[in-house]
Amino acid sequence: MEGSGKEEYKIQSFDMETQNLLKTALKDPSAVDLDKVSNVIMDQSLKDQVFSKEAGRICYTIVQAEAKQNNGSVFRRNLLNRLQQEFKGREEMRKRSVQEWVCYVSFICNVFDYLKVNNMPMMALVHPVYDCLFQLAQPDSLRNEEEVDCLVLALHRIGEQLERMSQQRMDELFCLLRDGFLLQEDLSSLARLLLLEVLEFRAGGWTLSETAQKYYYSEVTD
Amino acid sequence: MFSDHQTSRRITAGDARKRGSDGQLRSNGDLHPSTGQKGEHRRGDRRADSFTTPDSVRPVSRHKDWGSEVEAEELRMSKNRDALRSRRRILTAEPGSRERTVSSGSCDSRDSASPAEVETDENILSRRQKQINYGKNTLAYDRYIKEVPKHLRQPGVHPRTPNKHRKYSRRSWDQQIRMWKVKLHNWDPPTEDGDLQAVEQIDLGDFMDIELDPDEETGTHYPCMTSTEDQNDEDSGTSRKMKKTEELQKV
Repeated sequence: MEGSGKEEYKIQSFDMETQNLLKTALKDPSAVDLDKVSNVIMDQSLKDQVFSKEAGRICYTIVQAEAKQNNGSVFRRNLLNRLQQEFKGREEMRKRSVQEWVCYVSFICNVFDYLKVNNMPMMALVHPVYDCLFQLAQPDSLRNEEEVDCLVLALHRIGEQLERMSQQRMDELFCLLRDGFLLQEDLSSLARLLLLEVLEFRAGGWTLSETAQKYYYSEVTD
Repeated sequence: MFSDHQTSRRITAGDARKRGSDGQLRSNGDLHPSTGQKGEHRRGDRRADSFTTPDSVRPVSRHKDWGSEVEAEELRMSKNRDALRSRRRILTAEPGSRERTVSSGSCDSRDSASPAEVETDENILSRRQKQINYGKNTLAYDRYIKEVPKHLRQPGVHPRTPNKHRKYSRRSWDQQIRMWKVKLHNWDPPTEDGDLQAVEQIDLGDFMDIELDPDEETGTHYPCMTSTEDQNDEDSGTSRKMKKTEELQKV
């Protein structure tokens, strides 16, 4: 059952009605209210951390289906505008719930990763995504392992693409990360480990050397 | 883990460093994490929600919402691809055909003197495309492409659509379009009073081109012509028609 695909698994966390809505959206997008679909996906992403990390794929599939069916992009437009709406309230969101905020960043990064325009990342999202990551690199976010984890995962997945779109901002971001790693005294050792790894990761051209890989992933013994 | 030496060196270096809008980490060596909160607030106040770094990568967007922005992006990119395709055509296909057209004495000979320069002005490109569309939206064109497959077409003999991505003066371009359309008329569907009808169509088509397209680019190429043409815009079409017959006689 687990082998039947991640999408199945992800959709199962919705109620039956929503599951049907999503299934139809994937097959026959014009038959459903795509505004509702984008809201359902966004809402779920904000609640469910696992979903938020992979929801870009469902979005991608719906965007493709809609483009194929009637050359439309209603879903994408709704999705992006909803993302923007949440982006505007992100400071409040973080104050309200760090978990929701982390989910939001995972989701927008995942959308950035999956949705492309003519095989290129969407320019419109480059700076918003950077803004989110900058926020995660602030000292009080670095004190929160959840946020560090989110930041580091995002950089592993889309760091290279982001850098290609704006190297200047990536340089600035990494200054913050170095500072945090080096100067911030109240970081947990896990946070430091994650930061060090991502610093090495970028320094190695967005890949870990074999020895680094070993150090971070296989030397763990109980 | 860190020696004091390293840390302090780092701090002095940091104090001397200038930071951008996101560098609120240290102000005068204030390194205590407690500044984090403060920094966060300061940042929130200073920055609009739509904050963007004035980065050369990002063109200033005219669209407020991301959805429209991405759609505009999509459009822009497909146009770029279109331009690339034509540019490749300029670089590869043209040299050979140019040589031949020189001897045929067609209007193409004009550009053989200049290196292949690329027209990038969106306004010019879209105006040219419109002119091409008028030509292609004819029965003659349909008959032509059906009757003469591409590989059998001979430069100088068969009409060839002018390449809108090459740099031409306004006059040269308009002339190429005219010649192209004249040649296309050879494939007009047969009519009773054949020749007369064809002539009328040429007149109408050329007149419409000039009338419908705003005369924006003339100034860059023919500064001295602009003023007269602008004046003529107000007048009836007579002077324009005279000019056209002049040009036709030259050919």
